[in-house]
Amino acid sequence: MTTILEKLITGWCWFSVLILLSGTGFVLSTLYYKGMPHLDGGLIFGSTSPMDALLLKRQVFDGLFPAIIGTLLLVLLSISWALPVGLAAGIYLSEYAQGRVKLIFDILFDLLASIPSILIGLFGFSLVIILHRILDRLTPSLLISSLSLALLVLPYIIRTTQVSLESLPLETRLTGYALGATRLQNIFFILLPRSLNEISSGIILAIGRCAEDTAVIMLTGAVATAGIPRSLLSQYEALPFYIYTISAQYTDRQELMTGYSASIILLTLCLLLFGLAALLKKRLTQGQPSH
Amino acid sequence: MKKSVKITVSSLSFSYHDRKILRNISTTFTEQTITAIIGPSGIGKSTLLCCLNRLWENIPGSRMSGRVQIKLKGRQHDIYDKSYPVSQLRRQVGMVFQNPNPLPMSIKRNIAFPLKLAGEKNRALIEDKIEESLKAVTLWNEVRDRLDSNALSLSGGQQQRLCLARALILDPEILLLDEPTSSLDSRSSLQIEELLLNLKKRCTLLVVSHYRDQVKRIADDVVELAGGKLIQPQH
Repeated sequence: MTTILEKLITGWCWFSVLILLSGTGFVLSTLYYKGMPHLDGGLIFGSTSPMDALLLKRQVFDGLFPAIIGTLLLVLLSISWALPVGLAAGIYLSEYAQGRVKLIFDILFDLLASIPSILIGLFGFSLVIILHRILDRLTPSLLISSLSLALLVLPYIIRTTQVSLESLPLETRLTGYALGATRLQNIFFILLPRSLNEISSGIILAIGRCAEDTAVIMLTGAVATAGIPRSLLSQYEALPFYIYTISAQYTDRQELMTGYSASIILLTLCLLLFGLAALLKKRLTQGQPSH
Repeated sequence: MKKSVKITVSSLSFSYHDRKILRNISTTFTEQTITAIIGPSGIGKSTLLCCLNRLWENIPGSRMSGRVQIKLKGRQHDIYDKSYPVSQLRRQVGMVFQNPNPLPMSIKRNIAFPLKLAGEKNRALIEDKIEESLKAVTLWNEVRDRLDSNALSLSGGQQQRLCLARALILDPEILLLDEPTSSLDSRSSLQIEELLLNLKKRCTLLVVSHYRDQVKRIADDVVELAGGKLIQPQH
């Protein structure tokens, strides 16, 4: 009986892996076959010379270059806002909050994590309307989008920080204290370095979420043509927004295919960012055992 | 010359959540001696050590009542007095755990870590102290050429001696050792025992141990914990 059940469970596990792999394989191969033939320098830089575009000498009007830069800036800015707040909140929840306060914050952050991105987008949009009355220059922009996205990914960073700190064994927690460390020293010199591995996984998740989200940015500052943003208060182009508009409003097959090519670029961009995060993670956690 | 009392414990009770672990313990520990604390597993031997450096305060669900007085730098201190800073206490009362717990950093940085926590900036002094501590635990000759390599690359016995050196770098007056040899082979254990006997000259040592042979070899005094109370051991 046990052996049949065991075999069934093992079989189901293998089957699940197979479904996952074939799903991923199907998506990637579709993108490859449809998008690859149209992926060239022209798609990215249009009629501008790549050198001029990269050196920001000339704007690209008919290529994806501004959207690539826009997405990159968006991800970097959003993570920069979310990281310090998320880390601090995670540390607070794990090391300082107790009893009812902790329970309330736990519920609040779970709520924040379950808010659909379109609502975060609407929140950003409403914020712009309110702030616009006070500050005339403030319109939907890179700043508002990145702040809204930061709000969207904040729960990921908070939770991974909290969980990875809480899962450290008691002996590790006491090492620093026994050597005369204060609570803050213990957190910064012992607990955080030991949790970097898990925390960076949360950051990688957050990067992916920032790079792919469309609902938030379409309400808070992304537009079809804007060029490379000149400041935080400019509107900008972004790859997911481009993919969304092209697939919703394409006029011919050729145009639709560029959507696939843009998807490949977006995936590559994500891969590069993941690689960068993984490299950082490796450097920061060199020689550490995982717990 | 009669040695004086280093630690005075009065009416010490301890509970973890609703479980009473130590009941109204009163005892003294003499300076520059090795006192072995023996008793069955889970009886509260480690807890008793944690009451002497207030480490239990960092374990959620713990409660203690009673008084602990320690003579530090020639003066009696009530270590639970609010005016006595806990990090200063832990610099004077070092602790070595059952399992070697070097931090995931180089040998040198491990040893210097307590100095860094204490805010010591003088590099020359730090270098001297590192050498002195490593020599005190007879590890200097083994690691002098690889002070910058990861401490986790050392063997179990070496790691435990490293932890001992790390606890010694601030010149503590008391050293609490929680079964320091239980995860080591017999050769490394004997090495640690020899070190402890040497350290007696400079500090007061309290060793939790399960091994009767070891207790006989190193201890000047023996106390046994049973049913939350201290009793005179049966020989």
